[in-house]
Amino acid sequence: MRTFRILFFKELKSYFLSPFGWLICGFAALMQALSLSTTMKGFLDSPRSESLVFATFQAPTFWFYFLFLFPVLTMRLFSEESRAGTLEGLLTAPVKTWHVVLSKYFASYVTYLILWIPAFFHFKLFTIITNVPPPFSSGELVGVFSILALMGALFIAFGCLASCLTSSQIIAGVVCVGILFVHFLLGLITFFYGDQIDAAPFFSFISSREHLATFSRGLIDTRPIIYYLTTTSFTLFITHHLLDYRRWKP
Amino acid sequence: MIEIVNLSKRYGRHLAVDEISFEVQRGEVVGFLGPNGAGKTTTLRMLTGYLPPSSGAARIAGLDIFRESLEVRKKIGYMPENVPLYIEMRVKEYLRFRGALKGLSGSKLRTRLGEVMETCGLTHVRRKMIKTLSKGYRQRVGLADALIHEPELLILDEPTNGLDPNQIRAIRRLIQDLGQEHTILLSTHILSEVEMTCNKVVIIDEGRVKAADSPLNLISSMRRAGRVTMELKIAPEVGETVLPTLDNVTKVTSEPLQDGWTRFSVFVAPNTDTRIRLAALAAEKGWPLRSLARRNANLEEVFVELTRKD
Repeated sequence: MRTFRILFFKELKSYFLSPFGWLICGFAALMQALSLSTTMKGFLDSPRSESLVFATFQAPTFWFYFLFLFPVLTMRLFSEESRAGTLEGLLTAPVKTWHVVLSKYFASYVTYLILWIPAFFHFKLFTIITNVPPPFSSGELVGVFSILALMGALFIAFGCLASCLTSSQIIAGVVCVGILFVHFLLGLITFFYGDQIDAAPFFSFISSREHLATFSRGLIDTRPIIYYLTTTSFTLFITHHLLDYRRWKP
Repeated sequence: MIEIVNLSKRYGRHLAVDEISFEVQRGEVVGFLGPNGAGKTTTLRMLTGYLPPSSGAARIAGLDIFRESLEVRKKIGYMPENVPLYIEMRVKEYLRFRGALKGLSGSKLRTRLGEVMETCGLTHVRRKMIKTLSKGYRQRVGLADALIHEPELLILDEPTNGLDPNQIRAIRRLIQDLGQEHTILLSTHILSEVEMTCNKVVIIDEGRVKAADSPLNLISSMRRAGRVTMELKIAPEVGETVLPTLDNVTKVTSEPLQDGWTRFSVFVAPNTDTRIRLAALAAEKGWPLRSLARRNANLEEVFVELTRKD
């Protein structure tokens, strides 16, 4: 546990002791602010039955910046170490492979969670500045931030996996975007082809878009929770074995 | 300290290390030599647990490198080839991180940090970022990292690679000092360095051990060990016919010099000294003699002899 803690803080520092982490934070805050203000303008034009939280996260701009956060956060995790050769130093120190995998994973996950702090304050500011009752309930806020945390857990794990596959950051980033895009498109199949096809329940089960819609209405559904937690563990398991395989292949 | 038994490593079809076996005793400083691609780095990586052996076994301080990898890694200070470091960290910060990772903490970590930075001459650059350091200093940071947890065994992969002569001297002196109390296994191309620092040499080529002995024994067992050069003021043909008549002389070659003298190279059987008889012969024949010296073979010749491909 001590080794994990040392590695975890080293990774976390590498995000925030360089401009890199702050740049992503700034970018995320800007995009969150943009989608909120666009949605608020929409509310001015026409009356809406949905809440502000729901409408903000249903805006198409959300997926554009959201899916690009993950490659940026994760692409250098393992690929940079294997390119620079520091992986050799790391793995010849008395550390277990899972220490390395989990410390990197949780460091980027925590960074990802920090990215959502501005969005939370944006919604809080709405009530303070406008002095009108908030056009959303706190349940919706809790729901949307839980699903963001859950989706982030899986998508960061995808990024770790992609980064572990190659020693080039660019390729790692592209592979990560690829995985996320395919995952997102699979969720859209019921949207394009309707829910009459046989596999429709499966596709709607893994659809992040639908999960987001459900949770941002304030409905905490346990099925997506299980889905994200199990797939995250499985992806990390594969990442661990990939990293070990490179060392132990015959 | 290290026992290697039939260790092999195969990369697909390529056999990088082919059943090598050798031993290193506690307290020895061992030079691990071989041409490029001989399997040196692969062997060291197997010992440090970075790569698995394809077959065979090795034990370090009585622990199996594969089954007790974590324990073994605690006992080794390893400096990989080209010294990969986290270049965006500062020297002290990096060493503190590595020390903590290797199990040091609190006041123990603080004292060791001070000690290794002192030993490796890093105290005045401790606040600098590693990316601003020269190659020589990075090498020292790597060495400090290998030393920080007071390992019983130091494994250094080409510690002087890419340094200038002054830096090589400094690192060599450091290795000599460390050799007083550590077991050291170091791979290198620089043979003079091995002659000066190591009390044992292991030469490998194409994945096989060609020789494992002390540098002195290796040199004295060399074929070319007995070679005497002498300069006489006589015609080359005269020397070439008369000199081989002496006992133990196997071959004589000559080379006329510009000032009318001739330099003869006299090859003699190993472990014999013919110089006295050569001098007596020259005196007896009345040949003017101005130089007579035995050329000592060096490790370089041993190395070339053992690893050349022709």
